[in-house]
Amino acid sequence: MLFKDQIAFVRQHIRKNKMRVFMTVLAATIGCAFLIVLASVGFGIQQTMNNEILQDEQVTRIQFYDQNATTEDLDKIKQQDHVKAVLKHTTVHYDVTASLKDRDVYTTNSFYDMKDYQAVKGKLFAGTYPKNDKEVIVGYHFAQGLLNEKERNAISDAELNVKEGEQVDYSKYGYQGDIIGQTISVAFKDQGEEGQTLTETFKVVGVTDKPSYDWQRDTSLIFSDQALPMIEKTFTKTEDNISAEYVIHVDHMENVMPLLKKLKDDGYHVYSVLEQMDQINMFFFVFKAGLIFVGTIAVLISSIGIFNTMTMAVTERTREIGVLKAIGASPKLIQRLFLMESAFIGILGTVLAVILSYIISIIVNITMPLILQAATNEDTFTKQAFVFSVIPWQLVVIAATISIGVAMISGWRPARKATKIDVIQALRQEL
Amino acid sequence: MIEIKHVSHTFKIGKKDNEQEIPVLTDVALHVHKGEVVAIVGKSGSGKSTLLQTIAGFLHADVGSIQINGQETMHFTEEQHAAFRLDNFGFVFQNFQLMPGLTAFENIELPLILQGVPSNERKQRVQKLMEQIGLTEVAKHYPNELSGGQQQRVSIGRSLITNPPIILADEPTGSLDSETEQEILALIKDLNEALGITFIIITHDDEVANVAHRRFRMHDGILKEEA
Repeated sequence: MLFKDQIAFVRQHIRKNKMRVFMTVLAATIGCAFLIVLASVGFGIQQTMNNEILQDEQVTRIQFYDQNATTEDLDKIKQQDHVKAVLKHTTVHYDVTASLKDRDVYTTNSFYDMKDYQAVKGKLFAGTYPKNDKEVIVGYHFAQGLLNEKERNAISDAELNVKEGEQVDYSKYGYQGDIIGQTISVAFKDQGEEGQTLTETFKVVGVTDKPSYDWQRDTSLIFSDQALPMIEKTFTKTEDNISAEYVIHVDHMENVMPLLKKLKDDGYHVYSVLEQMDQINMFFFVFKAGLIFVGTIAVLISSIGIFNTMTMAVTERTREIGVLKAIGASPKLIQRLFLMESAFIGILGTVLAVILSYIISIIVNITMPLILQAATNEDTFTKQAFVFSVIPWQLVVIAATISIGVAMISGWRPARKATKIDVIQALRQEL
Repeated sequence: MIEIKHVSHTFKIGKKDNEQEIPVLTDVALHVHKGEVVAIVGKSGSGKSTLLQTIAGFLHADVGSIQINGQETMHFTEEQHAAFRLDNFGFVFQNFQLMPGLTAFENIELPLILQGVPSNERKQRVQKLMEQIGLTEVAKHYPNELSGGQQQRVSIGRSLITNPPIILADEPTGSLDSETEQEILALIKDLNEALGITFIIITHDDEVANVAHRRFRMHDGILKEEA
């Protein structure tokens, strides 16, 4: 029998039982769409999390924790392939308050070798890098964070009286003039019993770039490491009050993991955010597998419909099958015709399910942030690129394989039953 | 053409521990020549239809030998039987056994579809045959729109379309009135004379058996030729 005729034969039978086949295809579609949409949530959340991590420039950094790292160690690391720079980041663990006239801000501090820092950071938002121990770079929001008593009270009042759904406009507060060129006074205060305080003046020479995220506020102070002796003169240096870590800057993200592995093998205590991403990806792999498993149950339930439809088809057509066998149709052909019918149901159901899933996915990605925003009163969901559902081609392939495979398996037993029909018994059946 | 030797078959009835064996064919021997019309007559339950089913391969006899066109078919697999039937046999049944969802034309076309004959050739061959057996006017009719005689003509058309050397007819006129019966018997006779097709006709009706060149009688599974 020609393949074209086999198709025509199957089509003719499907046309004869349009409603029954339609309902079975519908069940297969719903089952498969459920699987795809469910798993797409796993893919969506994973993408959102990965995007969050990748958006941060930290992906090309390797943290190196070793207070006793020697110059040889650092040189060895610097000589590795793909290492752009090894930046020593020193932090003084004291309360740091910066003030300008009647304004002040409680802030954080970092000390760098400015040559290395410039090599890594590139161009600043404004100004230049410090050239001596009395110059400083400030964070993008530093000026905005410099508040006086009057403004603090005004902000407190504004925060108390803010209407639902509205936000306090912080940009109108803080130092409004050009911060570059201003001389600020910075006080380092020991929280301990001794309560030593060091107050020094620094000239603001630059402003760092805007942070990656809208919600981040950067009011930090970045000093040249030339200023460190000044601090160490006042405070006794211990691991608790002045600590250093090294950040290895790698040229490209794909070179991070191999380098990380190599450094670990060499016995260094290193860490990269990409390691976390690997763990996240592993978690999501298991999570998605779980979702696909749950979705497969829905497909299996829909397969009962296919099994019923095909069993009914075989039972109803017993006499026809008997006639076909009598005039020379081989059992293999009969089996193939029935398998083609169940495959048709599976394929059509899957195609419709894929289309339906993409439509649902688009609707979910548009409406969910709005619903969540309305429910929580937070605009995080609409402002950030929050993806709830993603359907990659791999998911379509997995779902199609499961759905069509299950349809074929459901149709296999009825098809086998058809081949076993006894010609003599079948021909005895009444019309 | 058909050489049947020592074919015996028993039906087993009842539960396994209390099984009874009923012989339906006992040492059957039959030789049918090419172009011959052979009638096998007998009462209901005598085993005549069982013999036809054994020849067709619907039933596997317990022992014996069946040679058709020089080929031993007793040990054929189901697949081999199906292929052999498609090329060597045409079937005419008492209750026509037409596909209700197919038109007269499509019913006749069916064996050609199974043979994998291309559509254009099929159409030509079916059209030509329908003209020969007088079915052109009902080509587009479904079986339930046809009379008994027309349905049996369609059934005969279906059995002839692949040009088989042998046609097995099981009570071909059993469901027809006497006038239509005569029409069908005349058609069988014409086809035999014109095309040299071998017919094995199973019937309980002596009148039907009259179209045959030779007549055999089946009685309790034993086949004997009548003078």
